[in-house]
Amino acid sequence: MTPQTLLIAFPKGRLGDELVPRLASTPLALDADALKSRVLRIPTATPGVAALLLKGADLPRYVAAGVASLGIVGSDTLDEMDMDLLELADLGFGACRLSLCALAGVTLETLRAKPHLRLATKFPKATEAWLTREGLTAELVPLSSSAELAPLLGLADAIVDLVQTGGTLKAHGLVETLVLGRSSARLVAARGAYLSEPGRIRPLADLLIAALR
Amino acid sequence: MPVRTPHFPDLLFDSAARLRRWESALMGLLEAHGYRELHPSLVPRESIPDGALRFFDGEELVALRWDFTVALAGLLARRFPTPPPRVSYAGAVFRRPVQPWEAVERFEVGCERIQPEGESSGEADVELARLLMAIPGALGLKSAILHLGNAALVRRPLEAEGLAGDLADAVVSALSRRAPHRVREALHGHPAADRLAAHAEALLSELDGPGTLDALQASPYADLLRDERDHMDRALKSLLPILPPNLELRVDLADVAGLDFYTGPTLRLWAPGAQQELAAGGRYDRLFPGLGRPWQAAGFCVRLSRLLDLAVTRPDLFEQPQ
Repeated sequence: MTPQTLLIAFPKGRLGDELVPRLASTPLALDADALKSRVLRIPTATPGVAALLLKGADLPRYVAAGVASLGIVGSDTLDEMDMDLLELADLGFGACRLSLCALAGVTLETLRAKPHLRLATKFPKATEAWLTREGLTAELVPLSSSAELAPLLGLADAIVDLVQTGGTLKAHGLVETLVLGRSSARLVAARGAYLSEPGRIRPLADLLIAALR
Repeated sequence: MPVRTPHFPDLLFDSAARLRRWESALMGLLEAHGYRELHPSLVPRESIPDGALRFFDGEELVALRWDFTVALAGLLARRFPTPPPRVSYAGAVFRRPVQPWEAVERFEVGCERIQPEGESSGEADVELARLLMAIPGALGLKSAILHLGNAALVRRPLEAEGLAGDLADAVVSALSRRAPHRVREALHGHPAADRLAAHAEALLSELDGPGTLDALQASPYADLLRDERDHMDRALKSLLPILPPNLELRVDLADVAGLDFYTGPTLRLWAPGAQQELAAGGRYDRLFPGLGRPWQAAGFCVRLSRLLDLAVTRPDLFEQPQ
């Protein structure tokens, strides 16, 4: 790879699983052999363009710093991080809800009435924004995974988490009490790369939009 | 957010020499165009904003100079009954960084073009753009891109629709992200949502040469913005024939950076592949009236600290000094 190789940051995990098949047969298809290996920098079908496979929470930082010129990340992650980057398109896929979820039978009113509400979440910013809108206060329990366990084991009264099909919630006896927002995959770009080299970045952005929307 | 060190960079031999050379070249260029240097104190008298580097001098809270334009405006408003038309400056400002990779202490060179109220400002705007066009050559940049924008393209439609406060901020933030879908989200349910979303689409549809101005025709506010469009058109017609060979001129209709400060045409200088703009400026006609002086003004600032960083990370972008 040359120093001028243009890097696109792709997310690992749920969004990445949806993304890779959509890129197959496009000029940005990821090299199948490299994907099977453990390398995190994957050549694409276009010379001079490579993909970085990153955790969603790290991805905006790579793009904001201009290491990757483009990236794909969930809007829930973007909303939690105050990063200076461009958000060129809502790609529509990976759609899910950011919801307040509690054990079946626990209503929103029950939660409101609690003198000391405890909410476990990976999304403190969105949760705080909702609490502010509602005029509520709560103790936020920051978690980075498996939030569904928190109400079951008494760590929190409820959780604020992403819900796609609701299968994981159901498996843990939880229900969606309130939808706080929606999330989907977004195409992001490094401000500097986009504004200083639009002739190089925009065609790739258009290609990603055409392949993924 | 953790901030990468050094916050207060020491300049070693090469960078110190480069800074001295660039400052001298740029101040020479400005002087040749009639700009006279003012040197406002490192401890300004203006009220201290968030982000300034503050400390106590005995009982008194003071701050280091955080912005030349504001410091100069205070000085000019206090000391001059009529405005000196052309002012330049060079030195350091101290500001807490928004981006983690920026230093607190930053070196700048810049200029301000100040006029009494009522004088035509069009020629002053073009004068500044011409001057900025000469900056890449003076710095030894092999190629550069000059973006022309106009803050009024966003400000006037928002004002016409009576949008202010958090909602206006959300729209501006979405435009800054170049995210038309976020503009729609922010305005959901607002009576002007469709009009402003269509305007955002028009502003964001192109980022190219002079033809980009045609995108304004698709805006519901095309008539409202006719003066701004004509002004940009005249500026382009005046600048294109004298464009240096290594400078590209682009029209950025969605430039909203500093929208709370700028009131009219804006200028941004980029180098290909640079992560940050290297110079920025524009018209800010509300600053002096706010200080009790009926003057209008425009200017730009060359961010030498960013250029010093760029010279280290991308030396290929610069001519080797003789």
